[in-house]
Amino acid sequence: MPEWKQEILRRLAPLKLTAAREAEIAEEIAQHVEDRYQELLSAGKSEEEAQRLAMQEISAGDLLARNLRPLEKPMPRATVPMGGGRREFWGGLAQDIRYGLRMLGKSPGFAAVAILTLALGIGANTAIFSLIDGVMLRTMPVKDSSQIVMFRWQGHHFRVNGHYSSFGDCFNGDSHGDRVGCSFPIPLIQQFRSHVNAFSDVTAFAGPDGLKLRAKNLVGNVAGEIVDGNYFSTLGVNAIIGRTIVPSDDSLNASPVAVLSYAFWQSVFGGRRDVLGQTIELNDVPFTIVGVAEPSFTYLTPGKTQELWLPMHIFPRLQVSWGQNIDTLGNWWLVVLGRMKPGFSVEQAQAAATVIFRNVVLHAESPMAKAADNPRIVLLRAQDGLTGSRGSYAQQLYVLMIAVGLILLIACANVAGLLLARGTSRQREMAVRLALGAGRRRIWRQLLTESVMLSVVGGLLGILFAYWCVRVIVSFLASTSSRGFPFTITPDWRVLLFVLGASVLTGIFFGLAPAFRSTRIDLTPSLKDTVASAAGRTRRVNVGGLLVIAQVGLSVVVVIGAGLLVRTLENLRNMNIGFDTRNLLLFDVDPTLLGYQQTQVQSLYRDLADRIAAMPGVLSVSYSSEALVSGSLWGSTVTLIGHPDSVYTDMLAVGPNFLQTMKIPLLQGRSFTPADFAQTEQANATGTRVAPSDQPATNVAPAPVLVNREFAHEYLANRNPIGALINPRGASGTHGGGTGGTEAADFQIVGVIGDTKYSDLRRTVHPEICVPVVTGRGSFEVRTAANPTALISLARDTVKEVNADLEAFDFRTQSEQIEELLWQERLVALMSSVFGVLALVLACIGLYGLLAYEVSRRTREIGIRMALGAQRRNVLRLVVGQGIALAIVGAAVGIGVALGVTRYLKSMLYGIHANDPATMIGVAILLVLVALAACYIPARRATRVDPMVALRYE
Amino acid sequence: MEFAASDREWKKGSAELLILSLVEARPRHGYEISKLIEQKSEGKLSFHVASLYPLLYRLEKRGWLRGRWVEKAGQRRRRYYRLTHKGRRVLASQQQGWQQFVDAVSRITSGVAGAENA
Repeated sequence: MPEWKQEILRRLAPLKLTAAREAEIAEEIAQHVEDRYQELLSAGKSEEEAQRLAMQEISAGDLLARNLRPLEKPMPRATVPMGGGRREFWGGLAQDIRYGLRMLGKSPGFAAVAILTLALGIGANTAIFSLIDGVMLRTMPVKDSSQIVMFRWQGHHFRVNGHYSSFGDCFNGDSHGDRVGCSFPIPLIQQFRSHVNAFSDVTAFAGPDGLKLRAKNLVGNVAGEIVDGNYFSTLGVNAIIGRTIVPSDDSLNASPVAVLSYAFWQSVFGGRRDVLGQTIELNDVPFTIVGVAEPSFTYLTPGKTQELWLPMHIFPRLQVSWGQNIDTLGNWWLVVLGRMKPGFSVEQAQAAATVIFRNVVLHAESPMAKAADNPRIVLLRAQDGLTGSRGSYAQQLYVLMIAVGLILLIACANVAGLLLARGTSRQREMAVRLALGAGRRRIWRQLLTESVMLSVVGGLLGILFAYWCVRVIVSFLASTSSRGFPFTITPDWRVLLFVLGASVLTGIFFGLAPAFRSTRIDLTPSLKDTVASAAGRTRRVNVGGLLVIAQVGLSVVVVIGAGLLVRTLENLRNMNIGFDTRNLLLFDVDPTLLGYQQTQVQSLYRDLADRIAAMPGVLSVSYSSEALVSGSLWGSTVTLIGHPDSVYTDMLAVGPNFLQTMKIPLLQGRSFTPADFAQTEQANATGTRVAPSDQPATNVAPAPVLVNREFAHEYLANRNPIGALINPRGASGTHGGGTGGTEAADFQIVGVIGDTKYSDLRRTVHPEICVPVVTGRGSFEVRTAANPTALISLARDTVKEVNADLEAFDFRTQSEQIEELLWQERLVALMSSVFGVLALVLACIGLYGLLAYEVSRRTREIGIRMALGAQRRNVLRLVVGQGIALAIVGAAVGIGVALGVTRYLKSMLYGIHANDPATMIGVAILLVLVALAACYIPARRATRVDPMVALRYE
Repeated sequence: MEFAASDREWKKGSAELLILSLVEARPRHGYEISKLIEQKSEGKLSFHVASLYPLLYRLEKRGWLRGRWVEKAGQRRRRYYRLTHKGRRVLASQQQGWQQFVDAVSRITSGVAGAENA
């Protein structure tokens, strides 16, 4: 019989019908032609003739196709045959996703473990990334922030004549052999403004300073930023109500005005519009509120919040100790920002500013640098220059980011291991597909789609986990630091993009190996055999083993890092800081806010100390200019009489009984006597200041001072320190013309005391001088017999008894203060421990998974071994041995990696070497123990294999 | 040529009616339909495969016919078309329309000598 069908199909081909429809039509028409053929034959036609005539039915050119075309839909290209080309990508993807969902639905246990693992990994990363995003990556909330530059001075040697202060907006210190800083004096800023035409505007600011606020029914401390008249116009920040500060506000004679921050307006003034024109008192000076800044302007320097802004030239009237002589070239106190004019380059502006800067510093009355020091101005993008407290978080955050990055790798290895084991059970499926003509690439894509689906679902769950993590971290930060956490952490597009990117990359990463592996199979045995025996022939175990080694190794790195950081925290907590931190209550008072003069302050403090000492439960009371280990520091340059150079020393002003209260030992000489205090008080009253000043002392006996052991050791090593004379005015060349030596000394050493930590725990002990007078704001130290916090309200009342207007603030115990100082260490230790545990758990799940899979795969082998007389302990050893071997290799690899990378933690460690052997060995032992636990369950299952059942298995 | 062209035009207009009429009594398969048309028109009308089957599919698509594969013992399976309810209504109205048309035409053409052979 002639082949009608082929001929018909050829004619139908241009229509691109679905295979089923095409076959149906061809069959029907072929039937018709065949009938015609048979009819012609029976009519007596020859076969050739009959065939020719029958063919005429369908040979009329492309008429069939043309007539069918308007009726028949072409084949929807969505259904992709396995091995289809690139064009079918998207259609095939939907198919892959549907199929993947079905496959995951079939093994919910696997899917749950994989998704949970990924959620933890991706979530931890998202949490830390959103912190980094909030702290480091946000752009300044000002108009066209990219146009704003920050001034930085730089020079090989550079020494400011006069007062230099900084509020931590930017980096001040040494960088690559240069001294750098970003505080400037007003005269220089005025020159920048008038002579550099690359800027459309230049502004300067400083602060915030703590000011005493008194308004209607309202008393408190506020953070006030001191700004010049161009501040708001330069930054392009507007007022939401009222107006901002303008240049005419910024003069000594202008009536004082203030602009509130939006948050402060909302929280303290309830967002009422009638605050405009209201008068508030700041340090007893009345200010008129003229406006509220727009809500988006929440900060300029990351981590610093201001509650209100004041014009700079009002500042001297606020009686802040350092707020005098603000207009002089000797007072470097302002951060300077400029807005670039369009069409000018930063280099041009930099060159112009440098000319002005060199002119001032090289030709000042006493030059601050030499030409060879190359003093110059560097303009940084304000976004980069104004680091604020961003810098102090940066390293911790990056370390945590690395830790969570490693955890994500562990999670990937873990899920890859699960997929490999699962790949074995799907081997038949893959073999069938390959046999039916599916392309390998097509199968890889199917498998990668499945793994990306897993990781995307994991990522979505991870967002929830991250949200929770961030809340925990932020509330931890807020609770440990009295300043609270000064950043807002809200997920934004960057974070979501990160999650998406992390999820997809993770999915591809962990899916790749199993995907490649699953198509590298020998078809025939896979199709014929059962799963277990097919798997036995491949080298899957080795890849699984490698993945477990990788997981163990990575987790060892994370745990070692955590161990080092935890031990650092322990070292810092347990170090001997030179005084007794237990049962010590601290609080601060600042009588200068109430207008107390220096001598009044001293009698007030004495009175207060006596009253508190009389409180029940109080053993001893003293006060000092700074509380020890509170972060504050007072240092000075002094001249030792008989010593050629001026030297640096820490300074601490103390009240009576300081050594006794703090339990600091006296090593040599004597302690302060009441006569010493009376003498210095007298000297103060007559205008001779004990604190370093630019004025030489008049004819009074030198004030008795104590020095610490470090001072005696460092500067007076070869002589008896007792009786040594000190001139507290630093550089010997600055007055009298002498070269340090014989002019009148203000201080005489009467005793040597034990070394104590001063500003913080990490700073090494520096030479220190204690002077017996406290003149300004003071910190009280109260040594109690029992729990010091019980005395807080009593102490507060006692302060009120002395002066009802005087506020005692910042009540805390010495231990609380140290804990607060250690908040970063605590945060990092806590987080890294959590991540360490997470890493260990994930690695254990990986190890457990592999062994459980091995045991089920080798059930038959174990059965045979037992049938041949193997004891349970032999079987136990077989399984546990394999697990422990993997763990030991992993631990060794991990320690090797840790040896290489922990040095990057060096600057965060204290009292411990980055390659501390005890930590490394400890972690290795911990890991092997945990691995033993992980081996136990699969090993027990192996020992319970019944030989009969196992042998019947197949 | 002229004749052939008008023949095709004519067929196109009435083909639907012819097919619907042929399956009115009972379901028939494609070959049977084409044979019946040829026989009943005494060879004056015939359909090629290329026009018959697209027409059947179009009627089926409109819901006037319904095709079904039927397998009879000892034979290969064939596709039988039967009239649907909808098809039956259409057929009735087409028959009526056709009748009116033929009547009208014959009223005009009767008495006209040498009328063109339609």
